[in-house]
Amino acid sequence: MTARLVTGAAGLVLGTYGAWLLLSRQDLDRLTGVAVWLAAGVVLHDFVLAPLVIVAAAAAARLLPRPARGPAAVGLVVLGSVTLLAVPVLGRFGARADNATLLDRPYTAGWLVLAGLVLTSVVVATVVRARRGTAGREGRSTDGPSARR
Amino acid sequence: MRAPTDTDFSSRLRSAAVTARVGLWLGICFAVAFVTGLISHYAQVPDQPVPFPTSPSWGYRVTQGLHVMAGTAAVPLLLVKLWTVYPRLFKRPPRGLRRLAVEAAERASIGVLVAAAVFQLASGLANSAQWYPWAFSFRATHYAVAWIAIGALVLHVAVKLPVIRRALAADVDATGEDRPAATEPGALSRRGLLRTTWLAAGVAVLATAGGTVPLLRRVSVLGVRSGDGPAGVPINKSARAAGVTATATSPSYRLTVAYAGREVSLSRDDLAAMPQATESLPIACVEGWSAGATWTGVRVRDLLDLVGAPPGHDVRVVSLQESGPFRQPVLQSNFADDERSLLALQLHGETLAIDHGYPCRLIAPDRPGVLQTKWVHRLEVEA
Repeated sequence: MTARLVTGAAGLVLGTYGAWLLLSRQDLDRLTGVAVWLAAGVVLHDFVLAPLVIVAAAAAARLLPRPARGPAAVGLVVLGSVTLLAVPVLGRFGARADNATLLDRPYTAGWLVLAGLVLTSVVVATVVRARRGTAGREGRSTDGPSARR
Repeated sequence: MRAPTDTDFSSRLRSAAVTARVGLWLGICFAVAFVTGLISHYAQVPDQPVPFPTSPSWGYRVTQGLHVMAGTAAVPLLLVKLWTVYPRLFKRPPRGLRRLAVEAAERASIGVLVAAAVFQLASGLANSAQWYPWAFSFRATHYAVAWIAIGALVLHVAVKLPVIRRALAADVDATGEDRPAATEPGALSRRGLLRTTWLAAGVAVLATAGGTVPLLRRVSVLGVRSGDGPAGVPINKSARAAGVTATATSPSYRLTVAYAGREVSLSRDDLAAMPQATESLPIACVEGWSAGATWTGVRVRDLLDLVGAPPGHDVRVVSLQESGPFRQPVLQSNFADDERSLLALQLHGETLAIDHGYPCRLIAPDRPGVLQTKWVHRLEVEA
C-alpha cells in the first residue's frame, strides 16, 4: 500500500510539473489553443470515433456471414488504426513546393496496396474458416448500445 | 432514446484481462517515448550541466527513431485499450458523497490521462509530417504535456495496481475482473484480439519507419520520406524557405572565425584548400527521419586553431539564415573539440547542394539535425 501511495504521489508531482511547464511558458492565446486541442482529442474519441466503431461492428455483425466476422474485426483494427495514424501523410498537409524530399511517396497508392492486402487476407481467412466449418464456435455477436434490442 | 449505461456493453472482450495486457505494452511505449523525448530535449538545451555525449555518433539517430516508432506503435494500442474500457465512461455515479468524490477524482485523472495521451500522439504524428495546424509552440507544448501524460500514467498505474496484478496473474480468459454484463462472446477470442492488436502495432511501425530504418524503405508506404534527396539524403528546410539562396551563392561569401578580438575570414576556396577530412556521420532529425552519410570538409578544431582558440570553449555557429529559432545554436565545447566534427563542403563526394547547406555546413556526431547548422558564415568562440 505504501509503495502504491508513493507511486501515486510521484505521478501527481510529475503531472503538476508538466502543468506548471505548460502554463508558465506560453501566453493565454496559445494556451487556449492547447486547451482546445487537449479537449478535442477526448471528445473526438469518446463521442465520434468510439460510436462509429460500435455502429460499424453492429453493421458487420448483421451483414457479414459468420466465418467473415472474426477476420473482418482483425481487418478493421489493423486498417482502421493505421489509416488514422497516416492522416497527416495521406492528406499531405505539410507538403511544401520548395522541398521535394518531404512527403514524397504516392500515399494514396500505398494506402490502396495496404488496404488490398488487408482485404485479401480477410477474404482468404474467411474462406479457410468456412471450409473448416469452425465458424460456429466464435463470432456470434457484437456489443454496444446500438446492438442491443 | 436513453443514454447508454455500462450494462449495455455485453462483449466479454471489454475486460480488464485484455485492458491490462494491452495497457502493459502501451505503458512501455509511453515510457520509451518519454525517456527518448527527454534525451532529445536535453540535446537541444544550449547550457548543459552534464555535456551531451558525442559518442556513439548514431546515438541520437537511434533514440529519436525509437521515439517516433514508440509513438506510432502506441496508436493502435491506445485505441484498443480505450475500446476495452469504453463502457466505464457510462457507469452511473455511485451514491454517497464520499464515494462520489473518489469517483470524480478518478474520472478527472483518467480524463487528464486520455487527453494528454491523445494529444501527444496526434501532435507528434503531425509534427513528424511537418503539419502544424495550431498556433502554439510544438516543442514547448509537446514537452510539457509529456510530463502531464507520464504523471497521469504513473498515478493511473498506482490506482489500478491491484486489478492489473490480478488480471496479469490470471489466464486471459478468466472472468474474475469482468463486469457482470460482459458475457457475450465477440467476433474474436480475447487472445485473438490481443494478437490483432500486436499485429496492428507492428504494421503501423513497418508502414512508417522507412524514413529511419533503411531496410524498411520499400515497405514503408506511409513513411513521411522516401529517403531520396540531393546526393541521396533528404532535407528538412530548403535554401529558399530559409531565404539564403542569394547570400549562399554570392561570390562575396566569407566564413568568419572569431575569438577574443581575433578574426579570420575565409572564402569557400580557402576552406577547400585547407586539409580535408572525411567522416561517416548520420544526419538525424527531431521529426524522426535519419540517414547515414559521408561528409568531407574541414575539421572544426582546425578552424578554431586558426584564431588560437584553446580547447574547452563553446562555439556559436551562425547561419546565413536571417530568422528562425536555430539560426545560431551553440556548439558545446565537447562537440567543437571532437575531431569528427566538420564544417562539411561535400556530401557523398559531391559538392554540397544548396539545400544541404552550401557553401558549408556543420556536421557533428550524435547531435539533433536542427543543430547541424547549414549555410554557416560565422564561428564565434565564446569566452
